Amino acid sequence: MKVNVKHWHAVAHWRWDTGSSEQDDPDGEEDVCGICRVPYEGCCPSCKVPGDDCPLIWGECTHVFHMHCLLKWIGTAASKQQCPMDRRTWVTAERKVGAAVAALA
Amino acid sequence: MASISARRLSKELSEIRSEGCPVGINLVQADDFATWLFTIEVMGESLYQGEVHTLQFRFDTSYPISSPAVQFVVTDGKQAPVHPHVYSNGHICASILGNEWSPVLSVVAVCVTLQSMLASCKKKERPVDNDRYVRNAPDNPKKTRFHYDDDTV
Repeated sequence: MKVNVKHWHAVAHWRWDTGSSEQDDPDGEEDVCGICRVPYEGCCPSCKVPGDDCPLIWGECTHVFHMHCLLKWIGTAASKQQCPMDRRTWVTAERKVGAAVAALA
Repeated sequence: MASISARRLSKELSEIRSEGCPVGINLVQADDFATWLFTIEVMGESLYQGEVHTLQFRFDTSYPISSPAVQFVVTDGKQAPVHPHVYSNGHICASILGNEWSPVLSVVAVCVTLQSMLASCKKKERPVDNDRYVRNAPDNPKKTRFHYDDDTV
């Protein structure tokens, strides 16, 4: 049998590498930003388009938020520059991009 | 575009409508994203057995970055529970409503915290400075700088 492919549609799906494996989540529920309660792959309430223009931010405490949400909070005096989850002083973590690349190789 | 608070509150509201509130907490009114009312009751053995109090939440448009203004309703015959951290005008001295507010908290989380604040109370009495505070209190309890000095009550 000979098959001629006339058309094909590629479908891609992206998500942020938050370090948690959502495939293991039995509910199939998406992780949400604790501040705005919108999924990480959505965008913060101030943005219209998800993706690189509305990135995530990681703290050294391992907590993750939409960057815009976290910066709004950190920008207030009330935040005392603390992580909303554990009230430790917020320190933005260096993302180990190299590790992800190495894992793919 | 809807404000940040409206988006977040509509999520909280649909969660309350689909999953209900914790036992002893009931949504009374949430017609807009400015003021919500709940009834709150302490379940089981406590000094507040049989009492039902009404909690009022007022939100500004930057909720949850800014905390909600939360107080007990003391109009229409309703009364604030007699508690060392609750003033007779309904204002509540609780650190999570002030300097320990966090945007990951929610309306239901605040209700539950206040419910357990009542549940763990050992003696029904008003704050020592109740009369002085109530005489000069601002309309919005968020304008008060409470001094949180006692975590044990």
